[in-house]
Amino acid sequence: MTIQQRFDQLKKEKRSGLIAYITAGCPDLAFTQEFALRLQDAGVDFIEIGVPFSDPVADGPVLQQASQKALENRTNLRSILRLCDKLKKTLGIPYLLMTYFNPVFRYGLKNFARDCCENGVSGVIVPDLPFEESNDFRLELEKYGVEQILFLSSTTSTQRRKKILDAARGFIYYIAVCGVTGMREFLPEETYQDVATLRKNSKVPIAVGFGISNAEQVRRLKSCADAIIIGSFVMREIMAGNYQTLLETIKNFHNILEKE
Amino acid sequence: MKKIPDRRGRFGIYGGRFAPETLMAPIEELQRAYFTIGKSSAFRKELDYYLSHYAGRPTPLYFAGNFSKHIGCRVYLKREDLAFTGSHKINNTLGQVLLAKKMGKTRVIAETGAGQHGVATATAAALLELECEIYMGEIDMQRQALNVYRMRLLGAKVNCVKTGSRTLKDAINEAMRDWIASFKNTHYVIGSVVGFHPFPEMVRNFQSVIGREAKKQILKLEKKLPDYLVACVGGGSNSLGLFYPFYSHTTVKFIGVEAAGRGINTEHHSATLCKGMPGVLHGSFSYVLQDDDGQIHPTHSISAGLDYPGTGPEHSYYKDTGRAEYYAATDRQALNAFFVLSKTEGIIPALESAHAIAYLIENRQRFRSDEIVIVCLSGRGDKDVAEVAKLEGVSL
Repeated sequence: MTIQQRFDQLKKEKRSGLIAYITAGCPDLAFTQEFALRLQDAGVDFIEIGVPFSDPVADGPVLQQASQKALENRTNLRSILRLCDKLKKTLGIPYLLMTYFNPVFRYGLKNFARDCCENGVSGVIVPDLPFEESNDFRLELEKYGVEQILFLSSTTSTQRRKKILDAARGFIYYIAVCGVTGMREFLPEETYQDVATLRKNSKVPIAVGFGISNAEQVRRLKSCADAIIIGSFVMREIMAGNYQTLLETIKNFHNILEKE
Repeated sequence: MKKIPDRRGRFGIYGGRFAPETLMAPIEELQRAYFTIGKSSAFRKELDYYLSHYAGRPTPLYFAGNFSKHIGCRVYLKREDLAFTGSHKINNTLGQVLLAKKMGKTRVIAETGAGQHGVATATAAALLELECEIYMGEIDMQRQALNVYRMRLLGAKVNCVKTGSRTLKDAINEAMRDWIASFKNTHYVIGSVVGFHPFPEMVRNFQSVIGREAKKQILKLEKKLPDYLVACVGGGSNSLGLFYPFYSHTTVKFIGVEAAGRGINTEHHSATLCKGMPGVLHGSFSYVLQDDDGQIHPTHSISAGLDYPGTGPEHSYYKDTGRAEYYAATDRQALNAFFVLSKTEGIIPALESAHAIAYLIENRQRFRSDEIVIVCLSGRGDKDVAEVAKLEGVSL
């Protein structure tokens, strides 16, 4: 299923979407494969599969730890793309890869785009590849019908916003806080306003991530965002072995995201 | 001469701006400030004032007669070890911290390996009355304990980085994470010619004072340009500072010396340009020590300042275009050079700079007796004395 198809469905169901991030290979790839299905059953609309990297500069302590754990298991892009091939047969929702640029560069842009396509990856999120540096990469992905998801934050200048919105495919990943990934109790007030304004000017849906972990944030975001992204919260619970609580929280978020 | 880098911060294919979206705004703000305030004559004048009256520039270009005899050519040492705080790092930190102040920032952060950049940043911050926080790997804090204490004396907070390899690379990661959250009031003083555009260009330009002075000095002393410039390369700021003003003088050969650690064919070295592959680390496209999966390699060097798996994009460009040659000296060769220079000239070099000295010692047959070699003595060795004593089995 493509990203757009899923967002079209959400529109019909009158819901905002839920995107869950999991670091592939933490604690191991078999777990990732199995847990992706359980996340789907709990009401997740998209899975974001994290490729571990030795130097994740945009990530806070939880995702750094998850990444390290996955690298200790020798998880790499090749094994993750094999996992994606398995997900293709079992998962009914779109899945994306989130990866720092160097592993992709090493793999080869063209090979990466082709293998994403062959293994059913709908989109790719690269936190250290800003719009200005992503031309070649985007062209390769486009050839294979894989979307590059672009970021936007409250600090993005008006001039760059326009360029990014023009080029956007799939959805815009809006960074809710000035900082690295990780749970925050509150999001800045201007985030809610900025997302609402942005949505009016965007031809693609807006998904909001970074810092989200509680029901109150989800409740407030549902009226302005097309989807919310949870990552550090998911990985913290996974690393602590609290699978049941995690899945229940996700069900709860799913219910909250339904619009009256 | 084509201007490098171009407007996108590219040195040929290298460089660029591989930054998280949140950092794009502060990077653009820095770019604007650097190319307006930083290039103004008022700023230049103020910086020159501090460089000469506070930091003790110009540093001497010293003809090392005894060491020259030992090598068999004419060796000059550019005495950055005599710059205030004991290394060339002060050239860059005075520039960046002054710029930060003009930008209205109230706090600066920096990473440090050997501690020299941390000390130089803390010094400039004390002078210009800005708050200062330094990130330093746990392993480096142990082997450079003296510098940690110096930073604290200067009023800086030193944060111990316990992630990853617990050295310079991880200190940079942590400083970047800080900056992503703090840029509204904070400037990140990157210590080398690495990072997102405009950092590599800006740091090179601040360090170019080394080469500009050296050129004037050698022309006065020898009435001609040198045949070789030799400097150690980690991130690569002292070397580029020396090399860049000679860039268009193609008869002047550039030699960069990396850290071969326990040997360039072992897993334990930091010889990025000799052994790495192009990739993206810390914001720019450059040579990187990495595995087949694109994961960054752990590194090793006796010298904390060279213990880094990346290097400046301009060095990658010099390598590919053949403008500079890059070699590597082992821990053992650097340590030998540390002793040789101490005994022949009475100058204890930093272990980083000792790598450049080691290249001359190991390759003396390369140089003719009438050839002129300028070596950048990037820092003094006092900070390394305790560590070297420990390696020698001497308890102090």
